Amino acid sequence: MAIAKKEQRVVAIVWVIGIIVVWELAAFLLKYVVHDPMAATKLPYPHAVAMTFLENWKMLLEAGAVTFSRAALGFALGTSVGILLAVFMSLSKTMERIAFPYLIVSQMIPVLGLAPIIFNIVRDMNVSRVVIAAYITFFPVSVNMLSGLKSVEQDKKDLLFSIAANKFKVYQKLMFPFAMSYLFTGLKIAAPMAVTASILVDMLGSKSGIGVKILYALYSNSSNIFWASVLTSAFMGIISFYIVVFAERLCLPWQNTTPGKEGVRA
Amino acid sequence: MNAAEIQIKNVSMVYPVNNGEDILALTDVNFDIQEGEFISLLGPSGCGKTTLLRIIADLLQPTSGSVSIRGQSPRDIRMQQKYGIVFQSPVLYDWRTVRRNICMPMEIMGIPKKERTTRITRMLELVGLQDFGYKYPFELSGGMQQRVGIARALALNPEFLLMDEPFSALDEFTREKLNEDLLSIWSKTKKTVIFVTHNIPESVFLSDRVVVLSPHPGRISAIVDINLPRPRENSIRETSEFYEYVTKIRRSFEGV
Repeated sequence: MAIAKKEQRVVAIVWVIGIIVVWELAAFLLKYVVHDPMAATKLPYPHAVAMTFLENWKMLLEAGAVTFSRAALGFALGTSVGILLAVFMSLSKTMERIAFPYLIVSQMIPVLGLAPIIFNIVRDMNVSRVVIAAYITFFPVSVNMLSGLKSVEQDKKDLLFSIAANKFKVYQKLMFPFAMSYLFTGLKIAAPMAVTASILVDMLGSKSGIGVKILYALYSNSSNIFWASVLTSAFMGIISFYIVVFAERLCLPWQNTTPGKEGVRA
Repeated sequence: MNAAEIQIKNVSMVYPVNNGEDILALTDVNFDIQEGEFISLLGPSGCGKTTLLRIIADLLQPTSGSVSIRGQSPRDIRMQQKYGIVFQSPVLYDWRTVRRNICMPMEIMGIPKKERTTRITRMLELVGLQDFGYKYPFELSGGMQQRVGIARALALNPEFLLMDEPFSALDEFTREKLNEDLLSIWSKTKKTVIFVTHNIPESVFLSDRVVVLSPHPGRISAIVDINLPRPRENSIRETSEFYEYVTKIRRSFEGV
């Protein structure tokens, strides 16, 4: 275990250094070999971007926090709706047949088109961010949760049936705990998507948020700020993912340790 | 002899199949089970023994015929939470430790916490897992997992213990060890046990009576009284009486 972990760290470090080196090299080539006049915009030096990031970290962090907090709120809302829908659909086949096509259709509507509509209805940037993030979140959460609820083995249900457990108890003691790992799979997919959605809403005429920084930098041709903002956005997505991973570790302790194939011999 | 505790009358079970040729899982099964009796349902796969157990447990409804338990329906008995079931697989809940797995049905039945804790500790001792109470199921071997499943059923102190090939996935050594353990546990509780198996020596070793079922369609081909003395230990398997019972039952299959 210890060796594997050390190896993992080495691999990660080599990867990060490798990317930076390749990036630096590519930026250099673009500027001095290809003589591209737009080189600084297309691919600025990573150290220049890093400097910009350090100089503007406060502004970027503030902007990021606005976007991220709304994404988190929307994520929480979308998760609740997703779980609720999954429970309803698991309760009856008819319900599932009725609801599922709507779920699919909801994912066919491009968020880019939906966002302005939502904004026009609610007339509030923050609420729009939350709603769109929730809209993006609920689908993967719902589908994965439903899949979890439907994957409970018949024997496990029969056992509770045999002692006359009511539906509430069956869900509380069996269905929900069983579906947790499926739910977290959905949450891991949804979290970065919720952040992306929130950034997207920023760009539709918001006054604050990381998306606005990206947009302004694009207009004002300040490529270093642009790249620093994009990096910040990427970090937000990654952080959101790892928050879910961390929560999963806390909530599902029995999945932390990789089980030995044979277990302990009697 | 008192009136039989469980009366199985003309029970038939048909599984409809799409091509029109329905499968007759059981045809016209009749027998009685006495209170405190250890009964084995023995037969090859496809003989309907598990179907019969599930009908008694109210997990299946027979196509025709009836099961009456103390004059009540299996559903009534189930609603009174008088069944303890052990399945072929351990059916443990991965997210709960061994102790909390045993605890689960008791939580649902509303047994007070203090009583639960006492029973769990006693059951773990009974099945020899006192050092494994705080392990998760994946940390246990197959035999140990199965013992947790048995402890969980016994912890309910059920009036009827229904076991569906509980040891079939285990190796011969573990199986014989658990057979002996099961008998010593049963001798202390004296519950009515219905035990499904396809292993002839196992059924002879455990039972008061062996109900032999034959397949296509599933029906009773013999009911054999096992008059071996109790308490039984594994050494009884080497006696000629034991061997005679095994042979007798095996012959009843050849006759089919």
